[in-house]
Amino acid sequence: MNRFALLALIVSMMVTAVQANEKLQMGLSVDVVPVGSDFSGQDIVVFGAIEQADQAQLYRGEYDVFIEVIGDLQEAIVRKKDRISGIWINAAAREYRDVPSFYSLHSRNPIEEVVDPSVLSSLGIGVKYLKAKPVDRGNIEEFLTQGEFSSALRRKRIESKLFAENPSSIDLISPSLFRASVSLPPNVPIGFHTVKAHLFKDGRKLDEVTHTFEVRKVGFEEWIYNLAHQQSLLYGILCVLLAIFTGWFANVIFRKN
Amino acid sequence: MSIYLPIAELSVNIWILFGMGAAVGFLSGMFGVGGGFLMTPLLIFYNIPPAVAVATEANQIVASSFSGALAHLRKGTVDIKLGLLLLVGGIAGSTLGVYIFSALREIGQLDLIISLLYVVFLGAIGTLMTIESLRAIRKSKQNGGAVARKPGHSGFIHKLPFKVKFRKSKLVLSVIPIIMLGMLVGILAAIMGVGGGFIMVPAMIYLLRVPTNVVIGTSLFQIIFVTAFTTIIQSTTNQTVDVVLAFILMVGGVIGAQFGAAAGHKLKGEQLRALLGLLVLGVCIRLGYDLVVTPDDLFSVIAAGAEGGH
Repeated sequence: MNRFALLALIVSMMVTAVQANEKLQMGLSVDVVPVGSDFSGQDIVVFGAIEQADQAQLYRGEYDVFIEVIGDLQEAIVRKKDRISGIWINAAAREYRDVPSFYSLHSRNPIEEVVDPSVLSSLGIGVKYLKAKPVDRGNIEEFLTQGEFSSALRRKRIESKLFAENPSSIDLISPSLFRASVSLPPNVPIGFHTVKAHLFKDGRKLDEVTHTFEVRKVGFEEWIYNLAHQQSLLYGILCVLLAIFTGWFANVIFRKN
Repeated sequence: MSIYLPIAELSVNIWILFGMGAAVGFLSGMFGVGGGFLMTPLLIFYNIPPAVAVATEANQIVASSFSGALAHLRKGTVDIKLGLLLLVGGIAGSTLGVYIFSALREIGQLDLIISLLYVVFLGAIGTLMTIESLRAIRKSKQNGGAVARKPGHSGFIHKLPFKVKFRKSKLVLSVIPIIMLGMLVGILAAIMGVGGGFIMVPAMIYLLRVPTNVVIGTSLFQIIFVTAFTTIIQSTTNQTVDVVLAFILMVGGVIGAQFGAAAGHKLKGEQLRALLGLLVLGVCIRLGYDLVVTPDDLFSVIAAGAEGGH
């Protein structure tokens, strides 16, 4: 009797283990996105696999993968104009900490059709559930839908394509293999970005895996930027010399005309 | 063809910028002004951040004023002594201007002050210039010839102490109004991203009574140094000079200026001044309109550097 009980326990543990042991694997097509003089955005590919999944459920398409691309956390200041003696002036302002410089969500279907909003909100997945810390409220995290300043911050970022949701940007190559194309806009912020993939089933999160890549100025652009910031005096003098040379050169060329 | 600007951190169309440089260069060659007062607002309309537009424009003006001043030096129409004195005030003004610029940027009122300064100065100068030139055109029609303006005395300016003799300009003037004028233009140059020729030239003619033939050369001569100095101070204080942007504008500008100068020779002086006056008023009205009309979006967002740093 004891043996049976033990056996049953082991079997049930194995079953549970098999069921709850789904893992995500993920890779990126690049580690560095180079920003050179001809940079006008770039598409990167995120690919991955669902491992140790229940085959029947896998073939029925019961697993869902969501991919978030999240930029550096930055400070942002939101200003509101007000009419003062007939002229529109920046009046009230609010400062935020920990605002993602970039956020894009990738999925096969609109995420809210698959996962309950309360779950998304607690996990902070989706443009609607992004948070930041307003400095004047003691740096306590709030959703970017609370209040007009937060909403404006979120709206401006959406307008400039820095916050985006891309349903139907994930393709299934086989029931367990997926591929997402992430298109980075021309104004993608310089810095490290985190790619976070989530595995869901029945609206419940099973696993997540992260990777980072860097958007970096390269070559001439990198050199110019570093010079301007690290040796700004030398940079300023070089700018002036370039202008003097251009002016002189134009004068020489056009003198005869 | 798009190009990525390393300091402005955005991707722009190189031909649009080149065209803007050439168009403004054409007008500046035609009217004998630097064109900063046109270029800086144009860059801001084209979504270049105002801080970058202003600092970069100073760098571009170095090129256009150097090119123009060389031609005047060769013709001998530069009063170097007067230019150097203006420069003393200009350097002081520019230093002050860049610090005011940083402070305004900090409190978020830079765009407003830039716009207000443009509206006030362009409005005043555009109106004066238009009225004066229309009057001259009417007179020359009545008399059937150009009228020479009599070199009169503008009261108190010529009663000030510390008088110095300027041989080239055939003038004896106090250094006080010269340094004050240089300083005022230096401050404006730094905050507005202009050379200041549009203020310097009328002030030299109407206030200091400098002969017209040396005014433009002398103004250009000192603008080279003030804008060169502004470029260096902006680089070290705000890191907002975008050399790639500046270079595209410079090349467009110097080419446009050649054609503009040729076109300018075909018009009479007072006709040119009337056109320039109207152009200045047009820019003023456009900028003033934006200040009083309810904006489409009341909110603006500024990203303030990554916290992690990289």
